[in-house]
Amino acid sequence: MISSSTAAANNNGQTPAGGGLKTYFKTPEGRYKLHYEKTHPAALLHYAHGKTITQVTLAQLKDKPSATAAPTSSNLGVSSGVRSAAARFLGTGNGSRALSFVGGNGGSKSVSGSNRTGLYGASTSNNLPSNSNFDAKGTYLIFNVGDTVFISDLNSQDKDPIKSIHFSNSNPVCHAFDEDSKDGHDLLIGLASGDVYSVSLRQQLQDVGKKLVGAQHYNKDGCVNNSRCNSIAWVPSGDGTFIVAYADGNLYVYEKNKEGSGDPSFPIIKDQTQFSVAHARNSKNPIARWHICEGSVNSIAFSRDGAYIATVGRDGYLRIFDYKSEQLICGGKSYYGALLCCSWSMDGKYILTGGEDDLVQVWSMDDRKIIAWGEGHNSWVSGVAFDSYWSAPNTDGTGENVVYRFGSVGQDTQLLLWDLEMDEIVVPVRRPPGGSPTFSTGSQSSHWESGCPVGTLQPAPRMRDVPKLSPLVAHRVHTEPLSGLLFTPQSILTVCREGQIKIWMRPGFAESQTNSDTLLATSLKDKPLSTGKTSSYRQ
Amino acid sequence: MGAAGSKLEKALGEQFPEGERYFGLENFGNTCYCNSVLQALYFCVPFREQLLEYYLNNKTLTDSEETLLTCLADLFMQISSQKKKTGVIAPKRFVQKLKKQNEIFRSYMHQDAHEFLNYLLNELVDLLEKEARKAKNDTASLSPPENVANGPKNGHPDGAQKEPLVTWVHKNFQGLLTNETRCLQCETVTARDETFLDLSLDIEQNSSITSCLKNFSSTETLNAEDKFFCDKCCSLQEAQKRMKIKKPPQILVIHLKRFKYIEQLSRYKKLSYRVVFPLELKLSNTVEDADAEYSLFAVVVHVGSGPNHGHYVSLVKSHNHWLFFDDENVEMIDESAVQTFFGSAQEYSSNTDHGYILFYEGVDAGSGIPS
Repeated sequence: MISSSTAAANNNGQTPAGGGLKTYFKTPEGRYKLHYEKTHPAALLHYAHGKTITQVTLAQLKDKPSATAAPTSSNLGVSSGVRSAAARFLGTGNGSRALSFVGGNGGSKSVSGSNRTGLYGASTSNNLPSNSNFDAKGTYLIFNVGDTVFISDLNSQDKDPIKSIHFSNSNPVCHAFDEDSKDGHDLLIGLASGDVYSVSLRQQLQDVGKKLVGAQHYNKDGCVNNSRCNSIAWVPSGDGTFIVAYADGNLYVYEKNKEGSGDPSFPIIKDQTQFSVAHARNSKNPIARWHICEGSVNSIAFSRDGAYIATVGRDGYLRIFDYKSEQLICGGKSYYGALLCCSWSMDGKYILTGGEDDLVQVWSMDDRKIIAWGEGHNSWVSGVAFDSYWSAPNTDGTGENVVYRFGSVGQDTQLLLWDLEMDEIVVPVRRPPGGSPTFSTGSQSSHWESGCPVGTLQPAPRMRDVPKLSPLVAHRVHTEPLSGLLFTPQSILTVCREGQIKIWMRPGFAESQTNSDTLLATSLKDKPLSTGKTSSYRQ
Repeated sequence: MGAAGSKLEKALGEQFPEGERYFGLENFGNTCYCNSVLQALYFCVPFREQLLEYYLNNKTLTDSEETLLTCLADLFMQISSQKKKTGVIAPKRFVQKLKKQNEIFRSYMHQDAHEFLNYLLNELVDLLEKEARKAKNDTASLSPPENVANGPKNGHPDGAQKEPLVTWVHKNFQGLLTNETRCLQCETVTARDETFLDLSLDIEQNSSITSCLKNFSSTETLNAEDKFFCDKCCSLQEAQKRMKIKKPPQILVIHLKRFKYIEQLSRYKKLSYRVVFPLELKLSNTVEDADAEYSLFAVVVHVGSGPNHGHYVSLVKSHNHWLFFDDENVEMIDESAVQTFFGSAQEYSSNTDHGYILFYEGVDAGSGIPS
């Protein structure tokens, strides 16, 4: 098992430490090429190092409501992946919803008139005059470095960001974007001090200053909870409800536009190891507190439909809760050590986690247990995600051989890609009868009812009891430890802890894009079919 | 010094563990290598308890001459019996004895903490074995006193037939490695067992302890100049060799080989590589797939950019709090601060505080699952 992963690494021309990094890597479907990089201005470099870890959020701003054009297929296709929240709008089933939210996107008061030509492209300079007419349509990368949140245009080749927002009191740590936001506030930013802001991304882009504008402030100066915000997520279709995960093991539920409470008066947590939910007595923010575990909650992720929320943390447990009923559904322990990241598959059947045991875990919601361990990282796994835009090259539509593509990044500076083929997972011996993890198309398979009852957590499995996966590709993408990855229709984005982002174009996209300033939206129009097919795959 | 102590007491407040003492150790000129290791050993609770027991059992035998063992027992007793909860102690007798006994440690030069730990543990083993043999011979007619080797000697599966005594130092730190060599000609597997008190691991940039342990146990091919003499073939043959852990130790001490001899420079160089170590660890490279589970309780940290100078400090977990020991000073730190001692992802970095020796203690399986 060790040798196989090493072989994969060697196949891709791993260069020894200190050597140059290759600008491409090969997969069975073709070459992924480094298209461009995004980072913060160099002057900022040394100062912020090591204090906070860069995370990146993808945000797509659509046409302003005053724009006459109806949402086009390209608009749907360039759907942004809201990091972790998985609130993506893809495929055929979402058309009507897409229409309605575009209509409801008209909260930005300062915006008037339309600027149809004003896609914020490569040619635009950094010193943008304050322009309330600027409609800011496009796809943006939001990332934090030190005390600053930077915004870059994904589609421009400019390395430097187009906007920076400084925070004077504490460092930003996490952020989330909701493209379906009903009023202006679509961007959330959580700080190390526990403070949280909601703002309108468009409004930030239209302002020339280096401060947040029009922000709503929650948990001011950490008055409700002064531990660090580790993760933040909009509740999908939640009417502006969002969840913040804190380093003291709590989640808080907030509703935007609601007043903050001076005295939240949640009861004292008696047993740190027990899950408990408390609701605010007045209807002020935060409206609820979920105590998850002892120690930090490191990451949270909603299933795409918003029914479930997954949490991972210091105690090494993945927990999956029913969001509405506030009940623990299932969960289990890592092999050892804390878990650092988690992410859902588009269909809500699987959850990936990564952590301090160097393993990528695949959790099955049907089986309510770990069904595979991915071995291949040489250090902690810091980012995991399913590639929802990828389709198996030889899928014949019979749907029997289902393949999921996913990626992981680690502190070993590597990006690994994996294929999860349901009929290829080796069933380990000594498994109780009837418990084979064969792929089931049913929503809830019955054969596990005996094994693990709803609402319980499972202990760490033994090494020999879990089927192993080997990576398809292992590629050293940065010189610094990595902190995250994102998939877009055209590319894979990797980000390192120190704030460098690399954009790896998918096979087929790289050639047509390398020498041009073409916007992604344009290229999408050229290839509406391929994206359409990909996104409808496995809905 | 007193003020620092009260500050720690204030920080812990009512959570100050019952009966526990947090004392800094005075530095007698470059003795931080010694202080940092002593703190890690003091907070290795089973080791401390055995040593205190040894002290109590040997106190009555006033004739015993001063050894490194009695000096260490003395020092631990001195710390644990302090009236105050915090403060500073001068490990004077211990350091004097150390310098007297081994000229390596006599100079005021910077010393290697791992070398010291290794020397100390082996010395303690020697002394305990000597005492046990002596006691056996002297008191063969009498009923053997219970404190012979300071603990029961049963339960050692491998060495039962052999002469070597199992002292409590062994019981705490000793593990068994098996070195399997498979001759590629006749396929015969030769296994040779060897004991260890700590594991010295080669390190790589941006890797984890898990990965370093995997490399330690990975298969190595012996060929060309480095062939293996196969007893069955009676000749030099190509072979495959791998190290596995046959018996995991109760206390797993991991030494990161941060000081590497660079031939081109003909001197040692410090590797500042970022090597992450989790607070919990399992050994999966064992013979029996036992998944032995461990929890980190101490880290000896080397501070500085080169091998011949610098400083040692230690991080210690005691009763669920992490403490930072820097010679005389003791501070409370947050658990999350442990990760600032992983190392640097870039070669030249302002951060020179790097985890050097890791102490993991075995966790008994079957701990409860939170819900």
